[in-house]
Amino acid sequence: MSGHHISTDKTLLGVAAALLVLTILTVGVNYIHMPTPWNIITAMGIAVVKAGLVALFFMNLYWDERFNSILLVAGLAFFGLLVSLTLLDTLFRAEVIPAF
Amino acid sequence: MADHSSSTTHSRFFQHHFVDAEQQFQTAKMGMWIFLVTEILMFGGLFAAYIVFRLWYPDLFTQASTELNTLWGGVNTIVLIGSSLTVAMAIKSAQLNQKKNIAINLGITLALAAVFMIIKYFEWTHKFELGIFPGQFYDFGGIAHEKANVFFSLYYLMTGLHGIHVLIGMGLMSWLLWRSLKNHFDSEYYTPIEITGLYWHLVDIIWIFLFPLFYLIE
Repeated sequence: MSGHHISTDKTLLGVAAALLVLTILTVGVNYIHMPTPWNIITAMGIAVVKAGLVALFFMNLYWDERFNSILLVAGLAFFGLLVSLTLLDTLFRAEVIPAF
Repeated sequence: MADHSSSTTHSRFFQHHFVDAEQQFQTAKMGMWIFLVTEILMFGGLFAAYIVFRLWYPDLFTQASTELNTLWGGVNTIVLIGSSLTVAMAIKSAQLNQKKNIAINLGITLALAAVFMIIKYFEWTHKFELGIFPGQFYDFGGIAHEKANVFFSLYYLMTGLHGIHVLIGMGLMSWLLWRSLKNHFDSEYYTPIEITGLYWHLVDIIWIFLFPLFYLIE
Protein backbone atom coordinates (compact mmCIF):
# COMPACT_ATOMS: atom_id res chain seq x y z
CA MET A 1 0.00 0.00 0.00
CA SER A 2 2.12 2.80 -1.33
CA GLY A 3 -0.21 5.71 -0.57
CA HIS A 4 0.19 5.60 3.19
CA HIS A 5 2.17 8.16 5.06
CA ILE A 6 5.33 6.68 6.57
CA SER A 7 6.61 8.60 9.57
CA THR A 8 10.34 9.08 9.83
CA ASP A 9 12.25 8.13 12.98
CA LYS A 10 13.01 11.83 13.38
CA THR A 11 9.31 12.75 13.55
CA LEU A 12 8.38 9.91 15.91
CA LEU A 13 11.32 10.49 18.28
CA GLY A 14 10.73 14.26 18.13
CA VAL A 15 7.08 13.85 19.16
CA ALA A 16 8.04 11.45 21.97
CA ALA A 17 10.70 13.90 23.20
CA ALA A 18 8.15 16.75 23.16
CA LEU A 19 5.72 14.59 25.18
CA LEU A 20 8.49 13.82 27.68
CA VAL A 21 9.40 17.51 28.07
CA LEU A 22 5.72 18.48 28.51
CA THR A 23 5.30 15.75 31.17
CA ILE A 24 8.27 17.11 33.14
CA LEU A 25 6.93 20.66 32.62
CA THR A 26 3.45 19.83 33.98
CA VAL A 27 4.98 18.18 37.07
CA GLY A 28 7.35 21.12 37.57
CA VAL A 29 4.61 23.74 37.20
CA ASN A 30 2.62 21.90 39.89
CA TYR A 31 5.29 22.81 42.48
CA ILE A 32 4.98 26.56 41.74
CA HIS A 33 1.51 26.51 43.36
CA MET A 34 -0.24 28.83 40.96
CA PRO A 35 -3.52 30.26 42.30
CA THR A 36 -6.73 28.46 41.28
CA PRO A 37 -8.01 28.35 38.54
CA TRP A 38 -4.68 29.03 36.77
CA ASN A 39 -3.13 25.79 38.05
CA ILE A 40 -6.02 23.77 36.55
CA ILE A 41 -5.99 25.75 33.29
CA THR A 42 -2.21 25.25 32.91
CA ALA A 43 -2.35 21.51 33.70
CA MET A 44 -5.28 20.94 31.31
CA GLY A 45 -3.67 23.15 28.65
CA ILE A 46 -0.49 21.04 28.71
CA ALA A 47 -2.57 17.83 28.66
CA VAL A 48 -4.53 19.06 25.62
CA VAL A 49 -1.28 19.88 23.77
CA LYS A 50 0.09 16.41 24.61
CA ALA A 51 -3.14 14.69 23.51
CA GLY A 52 -3.07 16.76 20.31
CA LEU A 53 0.49 15.66 19.53
CA VAL A 54 -0.45 12.00 20.04
CA ALA A 55 -3.61 12.32 17.90
CA LEU A 56 -1.92 14.24 15.07
CA PHE A 57 1.39 12.42 14.74
CA PHE A 58 1.08 9.02 16.47
CA MET A 59 -2.52 8.41 15.37
CA ASN A 60 -1.61 10.02 12.04
CA LEU A 61 -4.62 12.36 11.83
CA TYR A 62 -2.33 15.05 10.38
CA TRP A 63 -1.87 12.98 7.19
CA ASP A 64 -5.08 10.96 7.34
CA GLU A 65 -8.52 11.23 5.76
CA ARG A 66 -10.29 14.28 7.22
CA PHE A 67 -13.31 12.12 7.99
CA ASN A 68 -11.50 10.40 10.87
CA SER A 69 -10.68 13.80 12.41
CA ILE A 70 -14.34 14.77 12.06
CA LEU A 71 -15.33 11.62 13.99
CA LEU A 72 -12.95 12.56 16.82
CA VAL A 73 -14.16 16.17 16.95
CA ALA A 74 -17.79 14.98 16.94
CA GLY A 75 -17.04 12.66 19.88
CA LEU A 76 -15.44 15.52 21.82
CA ALA A 77 -18.37 17.82 20.97
CA PHE A 78 -20.84 15.33 22.44
CA PHE A 79 -18.63 15.01 25.53
CA GLY A 80 -18.82 18.80 25.84
CA LEU A 81 -22.59 18.61 25.54
CA LEU A 82 -22.73 15.97 28.29
CA VAL A 83 -20.60 18.06 30.66
CA SER A 84 -22.30 21.40 29.98
CA LEU A 85 -25.86 20.11 30.31
CA THR A 86 -24.91 18.26 33.51
CA LEU A 87 -23.33 21.38 34.99
CA LEU A 88 -26.48 23.40 34.21
CA ASP A 89 -28.06 21.19 36.87
CA THR A 90 -25.30 20.55 39.41
CA LEU A 91 -23.85 24.08 39.53
CA PHE A 92 -27.19 25.70 40.31
CA ARG A 93 -28.52 23.56 43.13
CA ALA A 94 -29.38 25.31 46.38
CA GLU A 95 -27.72 22.40 48.19
CA VAL A 96 -25.89 19.33 47.05
CA ILE A 97 -28.44 16.55 46.64
CA PRO A 98 -27.94 13.62 46.97
CA ALA A 99 -25.56 14.02 49.85
CA PHE A 100 -22.59 12.06 48.56
CA MET B 1 -13.04 -4.38 -11.25
CA ALA B 2 -15.24 -7.42 -11.56
CA ASP B 3 -12.52 -10.02 -11.64
CA HIS B 4 -10.43 -9.66 -8.53
CA SER B 5 -8.81 -13.04 -8.98
CA SER B 6 -6.81 -11.74 -11.93
CA SER B 7 -4.70 -9.66 -9.56
CA THR B 8 -1.72 -11.47 -8.15
CA THR B 9 -0.58 -8.70 -5.83
CA HIS B 10 -3.33 -9.24 -3.26
CA SER B 11 -2.31 -10.18 0.25
CA ARG B 12 -3.75 -13.46 1.48
CA PHE B 13 -5.66 -11.41 4.06
CA PHE B 14 -7.49 -9.48 1.33
CA GLN B 15 -11.27 -9.95 1.65
CA HIS B 16 -13.09 -10.25 -1.66
CA HIS B 17 -16.00 -7.95 -0.74
CA PHE B 18 -13.67 -4.95 -0.79
CA VAL B 19 -12.72 -3.16 -4.00
CA ASP B 20 -9.04 -3.30 -3.15
CA ALA B 21 -6.62 -3.60 -0.22
CA GLU B 22 -6.58 0.17 0.25
CA GLN B 23 -10.36 0.30 0.72
CA GLN B 24 -10.17 -2.62 3.16
CA PHE B 25 -7.49 -0.77 5.16
CA GLN B 26 -9.37 2.55 5.23
CA THR B 27 -12.62 0.83 6.20
CA ALA B 28 -11.00 -0.95 9.14
CA LYS B 29 -9.41 2.29 10.28
CA MET B 30 -12.66 4.24 10.11
CA GLY B 31 -14.39 1.46 12.05
CA MET B 32 -11.75 1.75 14.75
CA TRP B 33 -12.20 5.53 14.93
CA ILE B 34 -15.94 5.09 15.41
CA PHE B 35 -15.19 2.62 18.22
CA LEU B 36 -12.78 5.14 19.76
CA VAL B 37 -15.59 7.74 19.79
CA THR B 38 -17.69 5.34 21.89
CA GLU B 39 -14.66 4.87 24.16
CA ILE B 40 -14.31 8.64 24.59
CA LEU B 41 -17.97 8.84 25.57
CA MET B 42 -17.69 5.91 28.01
CA PHE B 43 -14.75 7.54 29.78
CA GLY B 44 -16.57 10.85 29.23
CA GLY B 45 -19.27 9.85 31.71
CA LEU B 46 -16.61 9.37 34.38
CA PHE B 47 -14.82 12.59 33.45
CA ALA B 48 -18.18 14.39 33.75
CA ALA B 49 -18.65 12.89 37.23
CA TYR B 50 -15.13 14.07 38.13
CA ILE B 51 -15.93 17.62 36.98
CA VAL B 52 -19.22 17.70 38.92
CA PHE B 53 -17.61 16.54 42.18
CA ARG B 54 -14.51 18.70 41.81
CA LEU B 55 -16.73 21.78 41.45
CA TRP B 56 -18.82 20.70 44.44
CA TYR B 57 -15.86 19.86 46.72
CA PRO B 58 -12.70 21.68 45.50
CA ASP B 59 -10.95 21.33 48.87
CA LEU B 60 -11.49 17.56 48.87
CA PHE B 61 -9.43 17.13 45.71
CA THR B 62 -6.45 19.20 46.93
CA GLN B 63 -6.42 17.32 50.26
CA ALA B 64 -6.99 13.78 49.00
CA SER B 65 -4.57 14.11 46.08
CA THR B 66 -1.66 14.23 48.56
CA GLU B 67 -2.20 10.48 49.14
CA LEU B 68 -1.24 9.80 45.51
CA ASN B 69 2.44 9.44 44.64
CA THR B 70 3.35 12.00 41.95
CA LEU B 71 6.64 10.24 41.18
CA TRP B 72 5.02 6.89 40.28
CA GLY B 73 2.23 8.62 38.39
CA GLY B 74 4.88 10.51 36.42
CA VAL B 75 6.92 7.38 35.77
CA ASN B 76 3.79 5.65 34.46
CA THR B 77 3.09 8.64 32.19
CA ILE B 78 6.57 8.32 30.68
CA VAL B 79 6.18 4.51 30.38
CA LEU B 80 2.96 4.94 28.37
CA ILE B 81 4.51 7.63 26.14
CA GLY B 82 7.36 5.21 25.44
CA SER B 83 4.89 2.45 24.56
CA SER B 84 3.02 4.78 22.18
CA LEU B 85 6.35 5.51 20.49
CA THR B 86 7.15 1.80 20.05
CA VAL B 87 3.68 1.08 18.58
CA ALA B 88 4.23 3.87 16.04
CA MET B 89 7.68 2.36 15.34
CA ALA B 90 6.10 -1.08 14.81
CA ILE B 91 3.74 0.40 12.18
CA LYS B 92 6.64 2.20 10.48
CA SER B 93 8.63 -1.07 10.48
CA ALA B 94 5.72 -2.86 8.79
CA GLN B 95 5.44 -0.11 6.16
CA LEU B 96 9.16 -0.48 5.42
CA ASN B 97 8.97 -4.32 5.39
CA GLN B 98 11.38 -4.56 8.34
CA LYS B 99 9.69 -7.64 9.73
CA LYS B 100 12.08 -8.29 12.60
CA ASN B 101 11.61 -4.74 13.89
CA ILE B 102 7.82 -5.21 13.97
CA ALA B 103 8.20 -8.00 16.52
CA ILE B 104 10.90 -6.15 18.51
CA ASN B 105 8.77 -2.99 18.81
CA LEU B 106 5.63 -4.93 19.71
CA GLY B 107 7.63 -6.83 22.34
CA ILE B 108 8.88 -3.60 23.91
CA THR B 109 5.32 -2.21 23.88
CA LEU B 110 4.07 -5.31 25.70
CA ALA B 111 6.86 -5.04 28.27
CA LEU B 112 6.16 -1.33 28.92
CA ALA B 113 2.44 -2.06 29.35
CA ALA B 114 3.38 -4.72 31.93
CA VAL B 115 5.59 -2.20 33.77
CA PHE B 116 2.63 0.20 33.87
CA MET B 117 0.35 -2.45 35.38
CA ILE B 118 2.97 -3.56 37.94
CA ILE B 119 3.37 0.04 39.16
CA LYS B 120 -0.43 0.38 39.24
CA TYR B 121 -0.63 -2.85 41.30
CA PHE B 122 1.78 -1.50 43.91
CA GLU B 123 -0.05 1.86 44.05
CA TRP B 124 -3.42 0.18 44.61
CA THR B 125 -2.24 -2.44 47.16
CA HIS B 126 -0.44 0.27 49.13
CA LYS B 127 -3.74 2.15 49.40
CA PHE B 128 -5.65 -1.00 50.34
CA GLU B 129 -3.19 -1.54 53.23
CA LEU B 130 -3.99 1.97 54.47
CA GLY B 131 -7.73 1.22 54.31
CA ILE B 132 -8.28 3.44 51.29
CA PHE B 133 -11.13 1.63 49.56
CA PRO B 134 -13.81 3.12 47.30
CA GLY B 135 -17.25 4.23 48.49
CA GLN B 136 -18.69 2.81 51.70
CA PHE B 137 -15.67 0.54 52.24
CA TYR B 138 -13.43 3.57 52.78
CA ASP B 139 -11.63 3.18 56.12
CA PHE B 140 -8.78 5.71 56.35
CA GLY B 141 -8.51 8.56 58.88
CA GLY B 142 -5.65 10.49 57.27
CA ILE B 143 -7.72 12.98 55.28
CA ALA B 144 -9.73 15.59 57.17
CA HIS B 145 -12.62 15.73 54.74
CA GLU B 146 -15.92 13.93 55.23
CA LYS B 147 -16.21 13.19 51.49
CA ALA B 148 -12.73 11.66 51.14
CA ASN B 149 -14.28 8.39 49.92
CA VAL B 150 -15.79 10.21 46.90
CA PHE B 151 -12.34 11.18 45.61
CA PHE B 152 -11.11 7.59 45.85
CA SER B 153 -14.28 6.16 44.29
CA LEU B 154 -13.53 8.33 41.25
CA TYR B 155 -9.85 7.40 41.42
CA TYR B 156 -10.53 3.65 41.46
CA LEU B 157 -13.24 3.82 38.79
CA MET B 158 -11.23 5.92 36.37
CA THR B 159 -7.78 4.35 36.82
CA GLY B 160 -9.51 0.95 37.05
CA LEU B 161 -11.36 1.31 33.75
CA HIS B 162 -8.13 2.62 32.24
CA GLY B 163 -6.21 -0.34 33.69
CA ILE B 164 -8.71 -2.78 32.14
CA HIS B 165 -8.01 -1.10 28.81
CA VAL B 166 -4.25 -1.55 29.32
CA LEU B 167 -4.81 -5.28 30.08
CA ILE B 168 -6.94 -5.67 26.92
CA GLY B 169 -4.20 -3.81 25.04
CA MET B 170 -1.63 -6.31 26.37
CA GLY B 171 -3.77 -9.15 25.06
CA LEU B 172 -3.97 -7.48 21.64
CA MET B 173 -0.21 -6.80 21.61
CA SER B 174 0.48 -10.48 22.41
CA TRP B 175 -1.78 -11.50 19.53
CA LEU B 176 -0.01 -9.07 17.17
CA LEU B 177 3.39 -10.28 18.35
CA TRP B 178 2.39 -13.90 17.68
CA ARG B 179 1.10 -13.00 14.21
CA SER B 180 4.19 -10.94 13.39
CA LEU B 181 6.36 -13.93 14.33
CA LYS B 182 4.26 -15.99 11.91
CA ASN B 183 5.17 -13.46 9.22
CA HIS B 184 1.63 -12.20 8.68
CA PHE B 185 2.55 -8.54 8.36
CA ASP B 186 4.39 -6.58 5.69
CA SER B 187 4.02 -3.31 3.80
CA GLU B 188 1.02 -4.72 1.91
CA TYR B 189 -0.91 -5.77 5.02
CA TYR B 190 -0.53 -4.39 8.53
CA THR B 191 -4.13 -3.31 9.28
CA PRO B 192 -4.30 -5.07 12.72
CA ILE B 193 -1.16 -3.23 13.92
CA GLU B 194 -2.49 0.09 12.60
CA ILE B 195 -5.89 -0.12 14.31
CA THR B 196 -4.58 -1.68 17.54
CA GLY B 197 -2.09 1.21 17.54
CA LEU B 198 -4.99 3.69 17.35
CA TYR B 199 -6.61 1.97 20.36
CA TRP B 200 -3.32 2.01 22.28
CA HIS B 201 -2.73 5.72 21.60
CA LEU B 202 -6.23 6.52 22.90
CA VAL B 203 -5.43 4.62 26.12
CA ASP B 204 -2.29 6.77 26.34
CA ILE B 205 -4.32 9.97 25.80
CA ILE B 206 -6.79 9.00 28.58
CA TRP B 207 -3.84 8.59 30.97
CA ILE B 208 -2.39 11.94 29.83
CA PHE B 209 -5.56 13.49 31.31
CA LEU B 210 -5.89 11.20 34.37
CA PHE B 211 -2.35 12.02 35.54
CA PRO B 212 -2.80 15.79 36.12
CA LEU B 213 -6.44 15.39 37.24
CA PHE B 214 -5.54 13.02 40.10
CA TYR B 215 -1.83 13.31 40.89
CA LEU B 216 -1.05 16.96 40.14
CA ILE B 217 -3.30 18.97 42.42
CA GLU B 218 -0.96 21.17 44.48
